[in-house]
Amino acid sequence: MLTTALILLPVLGALVVAIVPLPRLATAGLALLVALLEVGLWIVAAARFDWDSGGLQLGTTREWVESVGISYSVGLYGFSLWLVGATVIVSAAAIGYAAWVGRERPRAYFALLLFLTGAVVATFAAQDLIVFYVAFEAMLIPLYVLVGVWGGARRQAATMTFVVYTMVGSLLMLASVVAFGVTQGTFSLLESGTSDNLWIFLGFAIAFAVKAPLFPFHGWLPLAYREAPVEVAAVLSAVVSKTAIYGFLRIGLPKFPEPVADLTPLVLVLAAAGLLYGSILAFRSPDLRGIVAYSSMAQMGLITLGVFAANDLGLDGSVLQAVNHALVSASMFLLVGMVEHRCGTGELDALGGMARGRPVLATVLLVAGMIALAVPGSTTFAGEFLIMTGVYGEGWGYAAVVALAIVLAAMYTLRLISAVLHVQPGRAVRRDALDLRPVEVGLVVPLLLCLLVLSAWPALVSQSSFPGDRASAFVEGSSR
Amino acid sequence: MNAAVTGAWVCLLAPLAGALAITLAGERISRRTAGWISTLTTFVAFAGALDAFIRLWARNHGDREVLSTAYTWLAAGDFEVGFQILVDPLSTVMMLVVSGVGGLIVWYSMGYMAGDDEERRYFAYMSLFVFSMLLLVEAGNFLLLLVGWGLVGLASYLLIGFWHERAEAVAAAKKAFVVNAFGDATFALALVLLVWETGTLEYPSVFERVDGLSSTIVTLVALGLLGGAVAKSAQIPLHTWLPDAMEGPTPVSALIHAATMVTAGVYLLVRTSPVFEAAVEIQHLAAILGAVTLVAAGLIALVQWDIKRVIAYSTMSQIGYMFLAAGIGAYGYAIFHLMTHAFFKALLFMSAGVVIHHLHGEQDIRRMGGLRAVLPRTHVAFGVGTLALVGIPPLAGFWSKDGIIASALATGGVLGWSLYLAALVGALLTGMYALRLYFAVWQGPPRETEDEAHTHASGQSEGPLSMLVPVGVLTCLSTIGGLLVVPGLWKPFEHWVEESAEALVHPTVAQDYATSVVAVALGLVGVWLARRAFEHGRQLVTDPTAWRILERKLYVDELYDAVFYRPAAALAVTLRQDVEGPVVERSLDEIGAGTLHAGGELSRAQSGLLRTYAITVAFAVSVLVVVFVAVR
Repeated sequence: MLTTALILLPVLGALVVAIVPLPRLATAGLALLVALLEVGLWIVAAARFDWDSGGLQLGTTREWVESVGISYSVGLYGFSLWLVGATVIVSAAAIGYAAWVGRERPRAYFALLLFLTGAVVATFAAQDLIVFYVAFEAMLIPLYVLVGVWGGARRQAATMTFVVYTMVGSLLMLASVVAFGVTQGTFSLLESGTSDNLWIFLGFAIAFAVKAPLFPFHGWLPLAYREAPVEVAAVLSAVVSKTAIYGFLRIGLPKFPEPVADLTPLVLVLAAAGLLYGSILAFRSPDLRGIVAYSSMAQMGLITLGVFAANDLGLDGSVLQAVNHALVSASMFLLVGMVEHRCGTGELDALGGMARGRPVLATVLLVAGMIALAVPGSTTFAGEFLIMTGVYGEGWGYAAVVALAIVLAAMYTLRLISAVLHVQPGRAVRRDALDLRPVEVGLVVPLLLCLLVLSAWPALVSQSSFPGDRASAFVEGSSR
Repeated sequence: MNAAVTGAWVCLLAPLAGALAITLAGERISRRTAGWISTLTTFVAFAGALDAFIRLWARNHGDREVLSTAYTWLAAGDFEVGFQILVDPLSTVMMLVVSGVGGLIVWYSMGYMAGDDEERRYFAYMSLFVFSMLLLVEAGNFLLLLVGWGLVGLASYLLIGFWHERAEAVAAAKKAFVVNAFGDATFALALVLLVWETGTLEYPSVFERVDGLSSTIVTLVALGLLGGAVAKSAQIPLHTWLPDAMEGPTPVSALIHAATMVTAGVYLLVRTSPVFEAAVEIQHLAAILGAVTLVAAGLIALVQWDIKRVIAYSTMSQIGYMFLAAGIGAYGYAIFHLMTHAFFKALLFMSAGVVIHHLHGEQDIRRMGGLRAVLPRTHVAFGVGTLALVGIPPLAGFWSKDGIIASALATGGVLGWSLYLAALVGALLTGMYALRLYFAVWQGPPRETEDEAHTHASGQSEGPLSMLVPVGVLTCLSTIGGLLVVPGLWKPFEHWVEESAEALVHPTVAQDYATSVVAVALGLVGVWLARRAFEHGRQLVTDPTAWRILERKLYVDELYDAVFYRPAAALAVTLRQDVEGPVVERSLDEIGAGTLHAGGELSRAQSGLLRTYAITVAFAVSVLVVVFVAVR
């Protein structure tokens, strides 16, 4: 029941926000309240969850269309619960940020953000392929509108590329869902067995590769991350991208062992290529959002490496890193938004020198940046180390690529930090540009606190993500 | 909990508490309070270290190794890493050096940094550094060692770039971080191998299993660890960041870039000696790199004009000695030299700091001279530091450096003799560059203007008490600190450390004293050469080509620029312009435009976009489903 509540609360909240004609401030307040209630609900769920077992819990299954084996089936594994946790926290921060900057047409805007949250949670909870497909598609609609209506100058082009890419992915996935359900006689992930059909797997895999995005399916990313309102970009890169990881963990690996075995080398090569490609592009990107966007793409490559290493370290590491990246990426995007808000631009050439007289901004950006570049001791370092160790099992070259990416991450992140904070003020930095306001601190610091807690104890996530002690056992079976 | 362990935990956590307190308090506390919090927590750490040391001492020989785990930090499958510390003779010595010298330098900072408007940030960073360094030396497993390793790098980055409005400081900080990130990466790769091959990262278990590994694996592990050590300790070929790091405040150079962090590589070589002993080529490689570095850095030091850079190259050179020692298995002497070097090098930097302070930030030795009369007490301190560095008996550097050179002699063979010769050349060079610096700063006619000299004569020109006392304490330690090892008489220090890492080489008393005579003689020749050059107003390197090559640091910066940085930057630009731009973005623009166009057409035709779309999708999906199911 609790899972259903986690899905319905933001969706119903969206309806209320959309329908009730409240003034601007009250609308924002109501949306934020719903988002915070959702966080509270997640805490209740986490408290009720039996972490020792880690298996599917808090679930509901109702027959839906019995004749073809469709059911409304939702529930949470350890890793789903962690991903949902990251989602609700990031959403609350994003909604808070939107309320702080005051977006136009607030009722529609906040309703869409809340609906998006519900859809992401539903995706992470889905235990039936039709539910998964519906939730996966339901995420896209608010995203199209949020980017297309509230985006920057080139929002139409950004939306169009996003639509085209995701539509192709969706189409292939729908075909795969139907084909899988027809051949298995059920759409339930809990009842279906495994399939050795390469094409059905490919349909899923391409949809996930677009969503993540993995190299070379990332064509929509540069524009979408640049043109989207910054909090939408935050949600997009932080949590929407993780639905791809969930898809691989819950559907791709357990249901298609043979195609996965065949295609693992290809996926690993693409993931490693994406990790390097994203890191290198981030290193020379001319603006803040470009750096964060491409580093985000690099991180998705890293997480995919961990997933397809398919051993305990790789899988546990990838879940840990997915949660880490959700929090880091959201923090970085929101901070970019705060800098852009003050300077009117994110061009690195025009920025600089903001540390002087703005100690809070400097400290917060430094902490976020250091966690983003995975300084040893941070939870991102822990995740990266697990993935690196895990993927070594598939070949030493992948571990070497991850090691190289550590150096590149230091290069592009330090470049971002220095471009904003150090040396003399750039031409876009006004002398009276303010330090972070208390509200802004209240939006970013909770995300960073979560990261610091995880840094003190990354085993919290890595130990509890999969049922039993072994992550590999989960994906090896069909995980019925 | 074991009593020895309690002190060690206090030692570790006190500086962390200090850093957190200063950060969270922000502007609610005065700058001075921040300084006191930082200083006192570091001394609390020292007290903890002392407590751990004494209690460990009281235990029986052979029972001085305590592993204490607080909780499981990281876990996946069967793999677990605890947040754990190892208290043993080696780690207690390091704890004492780090917290003791650290406490003195932080205290000194209160005087040196007085008046800087961001003192609180400075002291928070200093405390963070002390915590990280203590984590590095106390860590009970490889991963936690790497965590400390990375965090000292972070603190070093923050402190080199402390004056963040100066472009040089920011560039130097970034360079230090990136070079060290490279070292972290090879270090991490070594750990990946260890996890796969031994299933654990705890020191005792890894060392037990290291003999069972294939020689390729051990060699690679040792190579990865050595990469980390070379980067952190600024040994050739990863040394280029250290001279630039002198952009940081002088107490930072004393603490991080002389006394503690840069010697972490030596600690690593000694701590993980069973791994290196199983991969003896790599251990010898460490010794060779150390020998090359100690000569090359000694040569480069001869042509530097910046007082701090001379001392920085001297640091590189002295760490070269320690690498040499660790590489031939003279672990006791490696750590002994690490400790005495921490004393006299911190002393040199801190006295240099007094000079720089006195001259309002002037660091060029061409504009110094004759300061003996103005700063008499600092002159004595600097003089003691210089003589200790050159290795004049009975000062600290004499005992430790000659022990290393004698160990090279005792090693014998081609390797031993080559290392021995290099170390002796190094002794000569040390005498030359150290005295060149000494004469330029302290002797000869004063070069200050009358005005400045006058202002200083009236005031406290040698700094406040917080600067004088630490300098005084370190002067004493640099004088007598070497007496812990007197060949033929007693060697308590060496024996203590070698309980943790049994030495592979033991020079005889004859070898010890014979070496001492040669080394001291060479040192004195160096001194004499420097004095003669000074009296004739010449430099020690007269050939202009040689000067230029040394001044450009053997062109290693240029080499890295050409081999790594520029290709990487060019690759990034190429990928962006030729791959990402046209292939990905622009083609998509076309699709986008096409779709918009089609959308416009359809809506004009009033044909019902949604229905068309739905039918198309349904058709496409059905075809795909049939294909998927049929085609196997």
